Amino acid sequence: MADKTDKIFTNFKEHSVAEFFKKNKQMLGFAGKVRSLTTIVHEYVTNSIDACEEGGILPEITVRIAEISKNERYTVAIQDNGPGIPKKHLGKALGQMLAGTKFHRYAQQRGQQGIGAAGCTMFAQITTGKPVKVVSEYRDKRLMCKVGVDIKTNSPDITDEIEEENPQKAHGLFIEGEFGECKYERSAQSPSEYIKRIALANPHVTISLTEPSGETTTYTRSSEIVPAKPKEVLPHPLGLGVSDIVEMAHRDAKSRSISKFLQSGFQRVSSARVDELKGLLDGRTEGLAPIDFEKKPPEMTWGEGEALIKAFAMVKWIAPAADCIRPIGAEQIQASLANILAPEFIAVTERPPKIYKGGIPFLVEAAIAWGGQAGRRSSTNEIGSDIIRYANAAPLLFDTSGCSITQAVKDVDWKRYKMKNFEEEAISVFVNVASVHVPYTSAGKQALSQEEEVYQEIKNAVMEAARRLQLHLSGINKERDQELRRSAILRYVQQLSKDVVDLAGKGKADEVNAKLQNLIETKYKSHIMGEDA
Amino acid sequence: MVKRAKGRQESGVVIKKLEELGQGMIREIDARKTPSFQTPLRSKGNVHYDEKLGCLHLGEKNETRSFVNVGQARKFMQTVAIANKCKKFLKEDAHTSIRGLFYQLKFSLGENLDEELFSEQSESNPLIEDLEVSLDVKREDLNLNTDRKGVVAGPLILRDKFGGEETRIDCRKQGRSGWMVPSDVDNGMEIEDLDADYVLVVEKDAMWQRLNEDKFWKKENCILITPKGQASRGCRRLISKLAAKKLPVIVFTDCDAWGWYIYWTIKTGSMNLAYLANDIATPSAKFVGVTMRDIKDYEFLGQMTIKAKEVDLKRAEEMMNYEWIARHPEWVEELKVVLKTKKKLEQDALQGPSLSFVGKYLKEKMEAKKFLP
Repeated sequence: MADKTDKIFTNFKEHSVAEFFKKNKQMLGFAGKVRSLTTIVHEYVTNSIDACEEGGILPEITVRIAEISKNERYTVAIQDNGPGIPKKHLGKALGQMLAGTKFHRYAQQRGQQGIGAAGCTMFAQITTGKPVKVVSEYRDKRLMCKVGVDIKTNSPDITDEIEEENPQKAHGLFIEGEFGECKYERSAQSPSEYIKRIALANPHVTISLTEPSGETTTYTRSSEIVPAKPKEVLPHPLGLGVSDIVEMAHRDAKSRSISKFLQSGFQRVSSARVDELKGLLDGRTEGLAPIDFEKKPPEMTWGEGEALIKAFAMVKWIAPAADCIRPIGAEQIQASLANILAPEFIAVTERPPKIYKGGIPFLVEAAIAWGGQAGRRSSTNEIGSDIIRYANAAPLLFDTSGCSITQAVKDVDWKRYKMKNFEEEAISVFVNVASVHVPYTSAGKQALSQEEEVYQEIKNAVMEAARRLQLHLSGINKERDQELRRSAILRYVQQLSKDVVDLAGKGKADEVNAKLQNLIETKYKSHIMGEDA
Repeated sequence: MVKRAKGRQESGVVIKKLEELGQGMIREIDARKTPSFQTPLRSKGNVHYDEKLGCLHLGEKNETRSFVNVGQARKFMQTVAIANKCKKFLKEDAHTSIRGLFYQLKFSLGENLDEELFSEQSESNPLIEDLEVSLDVKREDLNLNTDRKGVVAGPLILRDKFGGEETRIDCRKQGRSGWMVPSDVDNGMEIEDLDADYVLVVEKDAMWQRLNEDKFWKKENCILITPKGQASRGCRRLISKLAAKKLPVIVFTDCDAWGWYIYWTIKTGSMNLAYLANDIATPSAKFVGVTMRDIKDYEFLGQMTIKAKEVDLKRAEEMMNYEWIARHPEWVEELKVVLKTKKKLEQDALQGPSLSFVGKYLKEKMEAKKFLP
């Protein structure tokens, strides 16, 4: 394990973007009081799960939210059992924007931007002026300190540092921050819903949440298998936005030229493709600004980045490798839904990867849970349907109506599947879109854009599960019908047996009774047990 | 036409029929089949008019009632319960009304079942008819009495054996009230003497009292009967029996839907009791009035008409479509007048000129043989 965890921290690179993100904190998900709190929980929890997985550890996470002043200021504390962070990386991990592992490695991971934990530190600093408290147990050391962000230089500010021996080699990370401009409520977008959804999509995680009310909810793992680590792959040109490529270029100090940067930093970019790009970006193509491919990558301007992205779309690329897609897995989803929703019926679909935008692989997993605790309960305890959206197993709680998943699920003709009124059914529709390049609508990364192929695949996957639900429901209906028929007739057997024997003047009522019962049971045989009802 | 038993059946015969019904069911149950019984279909489609006999009868269509059938289970059980109860009545030589039978069978099906064998008499009544038609017996053969209805006066002497006594009934000596027709005029009821020229059936009791007071039956030497509206089974059976003694039967009703319905029920039988028509219809009956044509002969009646109701007009239209009525042009013409003028006439209107005018009217019409068939 030591080797594994050590490797995580070899990729840290420095970059000064804190100022930019301070001005654009909505890009990090800090938009709105409720959403900010959920974003904080999201960043910490996904970081913890990713760290545990990379360390080959079954994650055990506790989250505690306490109210300091009503609807305004809260503390959020998280403890995991991951490998912890070594002292030399701690500041970068929690006090420096874009220093994390993820931004540099295009494996499919939950944390989607890599500014997560440091972004939270920054948010705490902006709203309360306080650094976050950290306790990191890594190998034989226990480090306690406070971490802040120097926004001007985007560098960590570590204070009150105490290092202790850790003879038991306990491992884990504890972070506690105080945040303002927040609000805790038990809505469909609250931390409690988020944690539930994390648990649903991550059956190997045990996670608990203590809410400001003091109430603690624990979701216990239903799987003992740590998912295989996602394969690391270079980004594919079609999966990038302008900001991505500009940031990448600015971080590349090694490559001598933009040409080399493109060839070494991306997959499927050969010298032939670079020549093709050069041809498009020589200033003669309308709408494309010319680019000097020989200058150093950090000199790339925003305009050049825009031109490159446009040119990428005009070149025919070899599709990205599909083997880096990491689904949750049908069995895992099944176990998790059964564990948490205890529904009457579950259908999970397993479908092969598809591609969108002419080459980006993606995979849709859909599941339907019906009955039991499935569906949504309103404050008045009315039951309604619930659409549980994920991208790479990370819950999407916001921008519900603008999301391709919501759209696809609602566009299913549910009446065809015995759902009279989808909105009022005790049904949870679970959809996970896994891809190295998830087509988000915006930098907020809470909704999928209307990519036709993705939309269609989601709809197909949901319909496949719905068909199985329909079969189940019609089975139930048949069974209930048969049962009704049986009992409708059986209730008259006793009286008839008595009368028919009296009337005939022969026979025994008991025998006639037994024979009639037998006759009825045979005719209205159970649908499930019967051969062909 | 399906041949049906006529007249009274001995209780022994009926008990045997009932037992055979039960034994057939036991045989089916033993053969792992649903118990069932056959019964002629009693719906409109299986009711036909027999031209030769001049009455309605049931066709050959049968239906099977079975127990192991969600739609029929309850009724099947109820029918068997009725059959069993009637068998008991026959064995004990006890009689009851159909209401009495209903109360005998109104009990809970069991502690756990929130259901009674019968909860409404309207449930048991049609099942009694099912049994009658299925076993080819009459209600009275099952020791079930119908309500007494109908009054008789005139030269008719009957012998009524009842409760171990025999009573001689002289219908000339029944004073102002007349003799009430029992539900069963076959069982222990014999005609000892009949010395009348014809039978006059008048729809309304009030009219019967008028004619009785006027000694109409004495002057005319007829038997005066009122069914008091729609004729009961017993009353129809009596009329049919009198007709069998070669007496002409003349019917006198209102000129409206109800009146015509009463006439045609007496004459051809009703759709509902088509299976009994053989026994209780009087195909030879004739209709004396009141008719729309009377207005021509009796001018004052023109002022006595009242507005026909929707139901009268509807019934008139229906009647024109019944083959046994449509074959009489006189009736069709009469019905057309009603439909055209939308008027009707009541028999009471004949008391307009004087209270006893109705007697004069009847005599005149009968002498002139102004009948509708």
